[in-house]
This record gives sequence, structure tokens and C-alpha cells, in this order.
Amino acid sequence: MTATAPTQSKGLMRTLFEPPAVGKMATGTKLVVYGLLLAWTLFVLFPIYWLLITSLKGPAEVNSGPFYVPFVDFQPTLQAWKDLLIIDYEDTLRAYTNSIIISLTSTALSVLIGSMAAYALARVSFKPNLITILIFVAAMIGCFVGIGIYGVDWRLTLASATAIFFFLAYAIGKRVKVPLGNGDILFWIISQRILAPVVVVVPIYMMFQTVRLLDTHLAIILTYAVVNLPIVVWLMYDFFSSIPKDLEESAQLDGATMIMTFREIVLPLSKAGLAATTLLVMILSWNEYLFALFLSTAKAQTMPILVAAMNAGERGILWWTMSAVIVVMIIPVVLLAVALQRFISKGILMGAVKG
Amino acid sequence: MSASAQTATREATSQTKSLNTAKRLSMRNLNKYYGEFHAVIDLSIDIEPGEFLVLLGPSGCGKSTALRMIAGLEDISTGTIELGETDVTTVLPKYRDIAMVFQSYALYPHKTVAENIGFPLKVAKVPKAELDQAVLDAANQVQLGELLGRYPRQLSGGQRQRVALARAIVRRPACFLMDEPLSNLDAKLRGFMRAELKHMQRELGVTTVYVTHDQIEAMTLAHRVAIMKEGVLQQLDTPKEVYNNPANLFVAGFMGSPPMNFVNGRIEGGTFTCHQGRAPVAGYGDHVNVEFGFRPEDTVICSEDEAHLSGVVYSSEMTGNETIVTCTIGHSTVVVKADKDYEIDMNEVVHIKADLEKVCLFDGGSGERLRG
Amino acid sequence: MRMSEWMDRHSRSLFITPAVVMILIFSIFPLIASLIVAFSRIRLRGGGYQVRFVGWRNFEKQIFGSEQFHFLGTFTSISLLGWIVGLSTTAAILWWMIKYCRTNFSVIGFIGRLITASMMVGLAFMFAATVLSGNPFGTLGTTLFYVVIGCGIQFIIGLGLAVLCAQPIRGRNFFRVVFFVPLMITPIGVGYIFRMMADTTKGPISPMWQWFGLQDFAWASDPWTARVFIIVGDSWQWIPFIFIVLLAALENIPKDYMEAGHVDGASEWQIFREITWPQILPVAATVMLIRVIEAFKIVDLPNIMTSGGPGIATESMSLHAFFAWRSLDLGQASAVAYLLLFVTVVTCVSFFNLVVLNRIRQQ
Repeated sequence: MTATAPTQSKGLMRTLFEPPAVGKMATGTKLVVYGLLLAWTLFVLFPIYWLLITSLKGPAEVNSGPFYVPFVDFQPTLQAWKDLLIIDYEDTLRAYTNSIIISLTSTALSVLIGSMAAYALARVSFKPNLITILIFVAAMIGCFVGIGIYGVDWRLTLASATAIFFFLAYAIGKRVKVPLGNGDILFWIISQRILAPVVVVVPIYMMFQTVRLLDTHLAIILTYAVVNLPIVVWLMYDFFSSIPKDLEESAQLDGATMIMTFREIVLPLSKAGLAATTLLVMILSWNEYLFALFLSTAKAQTMPILVAAMNAGERGILWWTMSAVIVVMIIPVVLLAVALQRFISKGILMGAVKG
Repeated sequence: MSASAQTATREATSQTKSLNTAKRLSMRNLNKYYGEFHAVIDLSIDIEPGEFLVLLGPSGCGKSTALRMIAGLEDISTGTIELGETDVTTVLPKYRDIAMVFQSYALYPHKTVAENIGFPLKVAKVPKAELDQAVLDAANQVQLGELLGRYPRQLSGGQRQRVALARAIVRRPACFLMDEPLSNLDAKLRGFMRAELKHMQRELGVTTVYVTHDQIEAMTLAHRVAIMKEGVLQQLDTPKEVYNNPANLFVAGFMGSPPMNFVNGRIEGGTFTCHQGRAPVAGYGDHVNVEFGFRPEDTVICSEDEAHLSGVVYSSEMTGNETIVTCTIGHSTVVVKADKDYEIDMNEVVHIKADLEKVCLFDGGSGERLRG
Repeated sequence: MRMSEWMDRHSRSLFITPAVVMILIFSIFPLIASLIVAFSRIRLRGGGYQVRFVGWRNFEKQIFGSEQFHFLGTFTSISLLGWIVGLSTTAAILWWMIKYCRTNFSVIGFIGRLITASMMVGLAFMFAATVLSGNPFGTLGTTLFYVVIGCGIQFIIGLGLAVLCAQPIRGRNFFRVVFFVPLMITPIGVGYIFRMMADTTKGPISPMWQWFGLQDFAWASDPWTARVFIIVGDSWQWIPFIFIVLLAALENIPKDYMEAGHVDGASEWQIFREITWPQILPVAATVMLIRVIEAFKIVDLPNIMTSGGPGIATESMSLHAFFAWRSLDLGQASAVAYLLLFVTVVTCVSFFNLVVLNRIRQQ
């Protein structure tokens, strides 16, 4: 099973510094390799180190030139953390809970819906008719033009568009068939990822404004769930395709329904893929910026918006508080990554490699 | 169906102890198209309750497709399938009361042996106590009693095979389907499992359809064998009849190891003639393009004057209980089973004599059997 | 029984319906609505919207009108160098089209290539008239700069690190974990962190700048350094992604191939070029496609690090659309967004069809 990574049995340090498997290198080559790798390590870690120590500085330390080592060239203070967690805790806490609720719910929703769709695409062959789809899109455009430009009542337009769609679908769609396959549906779903948020965010904003859901959790959750759906479908499709079909057919013959097969056989076997996908989607919704910027103003504000808004203080940026707040934002991601770590190495990479 | 075949099926029926579960399985004019490709062509077979039917053929002959159509895993293009008294053509697999053993065994890797065996009962919502008892019974029947807590990856190939069997029998289905269940085992274990499978099927008396490309499995297991080629049923009869009385060139060449020898020639005035020899075939009319078929074990090496055919030795292999002499006669290769002490060198000339009682003659063009 | 059997028979469509419906509502519906908005002028009136159809006017304004400097750049006269580069690019693309027509012509392939070719010629002349003639370019040029230069650098460094980490050395798992870290940092955070890093007076590397005599220099005040500055931040965050996927691909190659190469007497470089590279090529193409798609959407780093400045020098098209929305010009915002979508789709589809599929077909 893919779920058991070798890291479990060996100690952490042992895994990190395991001796090389095969092959020998010349000492010169080795030095160059290590030199380059260490240089990159420095480039990766130094900004993070600077972030951490800045959160322990006060205005004086930040404003009067660079100080590098706490206790040696400056006296660390917890003032920034106090400001963030005690004095201004309400704002932080609200954004934090918002972020947690939104990313957890939207991730759960998109992983559930996305893996169901991916499973259906991996196992069942669909034959949608291109003509019917074109009629549907035409009806949709007709709707918008009617409502938006000619100001026809939206109920009337919607009803007549639906009626026209069904009439045409039966009249033309039944006779002229340009069948598409699962590959086309998969491509369609995945290609949604090409859409930059700015392309769709304005209508989504208007839509939620119309139904009075702006600045609510629900609006952001639904939006994130859909935005991340292509990723879930893509990764999970690869995983489901790699499960031997025999297992599901056997379950089917044993009397299991499709839902039961999915729950009892398929999901337990794709734990690694699910964990990796969940982590990725969770990180993406945790960090998402543009949609949150449009869809939340105060109540549903998420962490990225809170952090970005700290740019606009009247005294310039309070770098110490800013650093602390960024550290706070990073912590759950790191915890999650550590928790799911044993799945990731096998999971996300293999999924991505196969893609 | 020949007379002996009828006896065999009657035998099968009389052996059946639990007639209440065994059902008749009828396929009528089954067809399967994959787009333009016609995978199964007009297949009709009636399988008696409790019968062991083997679908035999080379890979790609449509035998697995036929089995999957019975299981309901493939849609049926045209035709009907009846199980017992009910038409199951469009019934979903789960309602067909069928159990299947897959080539890969399809054991659920995340479930223990007990959970694997109990899965069909679990989805049928059988009460826990009853389920445990049934699992234990099934496991004991295939000698797996001690391994119930293990996971499939901890088992050997033979044990996995048994788990798959136990999962199939635990539900007492109306019909077993087996898709090359022994092909993943090594040769020795395969022989052993074959015997066990046969014993178990006869004991349970469940109607069984078994797909294989291995003619020895077909010969040893089946009540009747159905041989397929390119989607078409070639012959349906008892193993003995299929072996001794092949309906056509394909069946004759497919059955037996080593298979039947063929020499091309013609019949003129009751004598088969080819470049390398002649043999009297009384009762057959004149025919231009004839395949003269004879089995390696029905052939002896003899002196020049009583020989039907002469050839050149290609190789000679001592297998222990016999010597297999391969020789070339014109463009064809002929295999002869000789005594284990027989020795002959490469490129020497051999003279052989076929048992004329058992010779089969086929039309060289259509492959159909010629009857005298 | 009947009910559950009906469920069984239809569960296949029940599985996919939620995803399709969600995408229809939140992706296709807004996509079409956005198209309509791009062709209209929208006014807020009494809590509702008043939409007036204005045809191509929003696009005209971006491409030829008063927003031209913002979207495409400032045009005066094209310099000699601009003419040379522009005309030679046009000639090369024409030659490519003619070569295609001569070999295997198909209508769809021709139309696709025609779109790609005209966009390429247009972009070539845009760059010829702006940056090569000493004029600033607009958000389209900036976005392409981020995509082409940024993703190129990220790919080269990511591949290099993956190759280094695939060597049989002690501590490779340590490097793998460390190199993964930037992916976990929120992009907003990356923006602020690099603002601190780039501070030439109080930042951590300021002593070095002072030593070079550059203490009064500010990254964000010069258009080109500001753009480089954003690419550095973007690369810091995204190289790990490319690195990790390519490393997995490298480790997936069966050792036999390399060993056979060694036995046959190939040098390390030959082994990489002849064995390793063709093996990881499909993965490399896929990961770059993903990266390019995401790079076109870049918005948070320029917004945080430079707010699009100086002037419009670091403004990406996403940011451009966002600023237009903020000034309540919904029509312009949608038009810019659609232009971005067009460029993204043409680039990605061309890349996929002409590069990825071609290479895969050849193998």
C-alpha cells in the first residue's frame, strides 16, 4: 500500500541524513553540489529567519538599521505578539476563525464533490451531446441579453429561456448528435483553472449582491470550492484511474451499490491522494486573496485581507506586528503539512507526475 | 449435443446436492459490438444446473467478454441471458445472484481476509453473528481458518486464490463465474488448485462458467467445453468428444499438448496423398485440399515399408516418461511421441505410421471436418 | 427495491451532477455574464444595475484609445532596432506558417495557427514599439514579462536543484524538506518579507548595498528593478513547486536506464540529454503548463510589493482589471479580464498543442 511511507519506521534524523543509496562521486563534484545546495538553503531559509526575528523586535530595532541575532545585537521583545494576540486580539481572532471556517468547509466541499466527479469520470463513460450544450449556452446568453440590456423581468426571461432550451433540445438535440466523451468533460472541468479570478469575480460579486450574500462565509466557501474543483478532479482522476478496476467490479457483483463501492473500496484505497489533494486545496483557500478582497468587507474578512490591510496604517507599516501576523498565518499550514507529511511524498508527487 | 454430452450433463445434475441454489443459465444469440468491432457473435449456450462449463479460446476470442456479459459488467448489444426462470439481460450485476473470481483475485487490499470474505454479506446487511458464522464456514471450506486476521498482502498466491474462492462461495450464489483464476499461480500450485477447484465445484454443485486459454484446465475441469475463436463458438461438447472428435481444424489444433499434427495433401480414390507419403482413408470422397490430422500419441515410428509418411528429424527431446521427436515433413512440422528409450539424431530420416482409426481429415480451405 | 435500483442506475450521473452544476453556476455563468459586461457600460442605480450595450468600445479604448498606454504601452515611433526585431519575427512566423501549409494542412490546425501567429506578430510589434524604442510598455507587456522571464528562470533553477538533489548524496531528504518550505508561506507574506529583504537602508543585506555605495537606491523606484524584484519574490515561492515535481519525476526513472548508459560509456551530460531529459519531458511540460497558467493570474505580489508602481511598471493585467473595478468601471474591468483570458488561452493552447503534443508524438 502506498499509505505506508518508510519514514514511519526510521527516526526523523535518520531519514533526513540517510546515507546515499548507490553510486560514488568525486570529491570536487561533491563540494560543488553541496555548495550550490547550501547556497539555495540559505536563500530559502534566511527570509524566514528574518521574518521570525522581526516579529521579536520593537520599533527601535527595526528603524535603526539591521540587527541579526537576538540577545547578541538586540534585545528581543514580545511587544508585537502582545499587540497582536492580546490588545488587538478581536480583529485577529475574527479573521483567523473566518479563515479556518472558510478553508475547512470549502476544502471539504470541493474534495467531496470533486472526487465524486473524478470517480464517475474515471469509471463511467458519459456521452453528452455537443449540440445540446451549445443550445444551453445560447439560451444562457439570451437570458443575459434579455435581462441586462433590454431590461425584461428576470423571472419571465428565465422561464421562457428554460422553455426554449427544452424545446430545442428535444427538437434538434435528439436528432443531431455530436457526442463528446469523458476526456472532453475532464478537459472542460480542468480548463476552468485557466480562468483568472478577475474574469469571473465581477459577475460573482454582482450575483451575491443580488441574493444579499456578500460578506458572508457561504459566498466565499462556495466560490473557493468551485475554484479549487478543477485541481481536485485532476489529481483524484489520476488516483482513481490507478486503482484496479477489478476491485470495483468485484464489489459490484458482491452486491454493493456505486455509492457503497465508492465509500468502502475506492476512498480507503485513495487515502494518499485524498490527503495530498486536501492539503493542496487547503493551502490554496487559506492563502486566496483576490476573491476574498471582492467578496468580504468586514464580517467575513479572512487572514490574507487582514494582513494586506495592515499596509495602510497611518504610521507606515508596523513591521514587527506584520511579521508576527504572517508567522501566525503560516503556523497552521506547517502543522497540516507535518500531519499529512507521510502521504504527501507518495501522494501529490505521484499524482502530479502522472498528470 | 451428442449423446455422450447429454450423459455428462445428466451426471452433473445428479451429482448436484444442493439443487435449490443451482440454476440453469441460458445465453441466447448474444452479440457484443465495440463500435465497429464485433467481439461476440451470436453466442447461444444452455448451461444445466450444477454444470461446469469452460469457455476456452486464445486471447481476444471474446470468451472474457462473454463472461463479463453474463456478470452484467458489459452491456449486451443484442440477445438475452436467462438465469433460472428470470431474464437477467438488463438486470444490474448486484441483483443477478452471481459470484465472480477474477484473474487478479480482486481482493480488497485494505480489508482483512475475514472482511474480504464477509463483504458480500455485509453489503446485503446480514446480521453480524450470522455473517461471522458464514465467513468461518467458507474459510474452513477452503482451509483458511487460521488466516482470517491477515491482510491480502501477507498471503501467498495460493492463499489469495482461496480467499477469492471463499468470497465467492460465502453467499451461496446461483452461479459462479471464473475468469482465468489459476493463471497467476506457478505451475505446481496450479495443478493442485485445479484439483481443489474441481472437488469443490462438484461438492457445492453450483453452475459454473470458467474462462481459460489453457486447454489442460479445460480438459480436466469441465463437464463441457465451449471453444471460441474470434467471437464465434466453434464447438460445444464434453472434453473427451472435443479431443477425439474436433469439429474443425481450429479446435483440433487448439486441444492437446503437443497439439495435433497436420499434413496437407489430397484424397484420390480412397487414398490420402502428399509429397512425403500416402495413407489409405477408406470412405472419404475425392478432395483436393485436405489437412491430414493425427495426434502425436496416436503415431508410431516404424520401418520404411509400413510407413505412411517420412520426414527429417528436427530435434528429439527426452522428457522422462517419453521422447518427443519433432520432424519436418515438407513444409509442416510433425511431433511424434516415442518410447522413452528411443534415440535418434538430428537430420536422420524417420518413417512414421498414424493410427488410421483416430485420424481426422479437414478441408484445407474452410477448416471444416470432412466426414467419411 | 425499485427505488434503490433506480438509485443504482442513476448514481453514475448523480456523482458528476454536483460538480457540473457548481461549475455552471460559478464559472460558466459568470464567464458569459462577464462577456456581456465587457460589451456594456454599467451604472449603479438605486441598488440595481443599469446596463447599456456599447459594442466593442471597451476593447477599443484599451487597444487604441485613451487606455492604450496603460494596456499596451506608449507608442511614438518605432526605432530601427524595433523594426528589425519586429520584421524578422514576422518573417519567421510567416515562414513557419508557410512550412505548415506545405506539409500537413487541416482547416482547424490552420485557423489555430493563424490565431497564434497573429498574436505573436502583434506582441512582437508591441515590444518593438515600446521597450525596443525606448518607451514604457503596459500591463500586457508586464504580465508577459512575469510569465516568460519569471517562469523560465523558475524552470531552470527548479530543474537544476532537482538534478542536484537527485544525486546520491547524504542529506538529500533534508534539502527536500527545506526547499519545500516557501510553498507553505502565504503569498501576501512573501510580498512583505521581500519588501523587508529589499530595504537598502535597514534591511538585512543593507550593509552589502552600502558597501557598493547603493544605500540611496530603492528597488521599487525603477521600473526594471521593480519588475525583477517581483520576479525574485515569485520565484522564491514557486521554484519549490517545480523542484518537487521534477525531483519526483527524476526519481521515477528506472535506475537501469542510467546504469545501461554508464555501461555503454556515456558521459554524465550525455546521460542527462539522451536518457534523463526525454524521460522527464512530459512531466516538465505539464508542470510548466500549470505554472504558466498560474503566472498569468499574478496579482497579490505586485499589489503588496509595489502596488503596481512605479507608475504602472509592475502592474499585471489582473491588477489592472482590479484597479478598474475599484474605480467602478465594470465594463473596462471585464474587457481587460477578457483580454487576459484570450492571451492566456492562446498561449496555453499553443504551448500544449505545438510544443507538448509535438514532442510527445515524436517519441
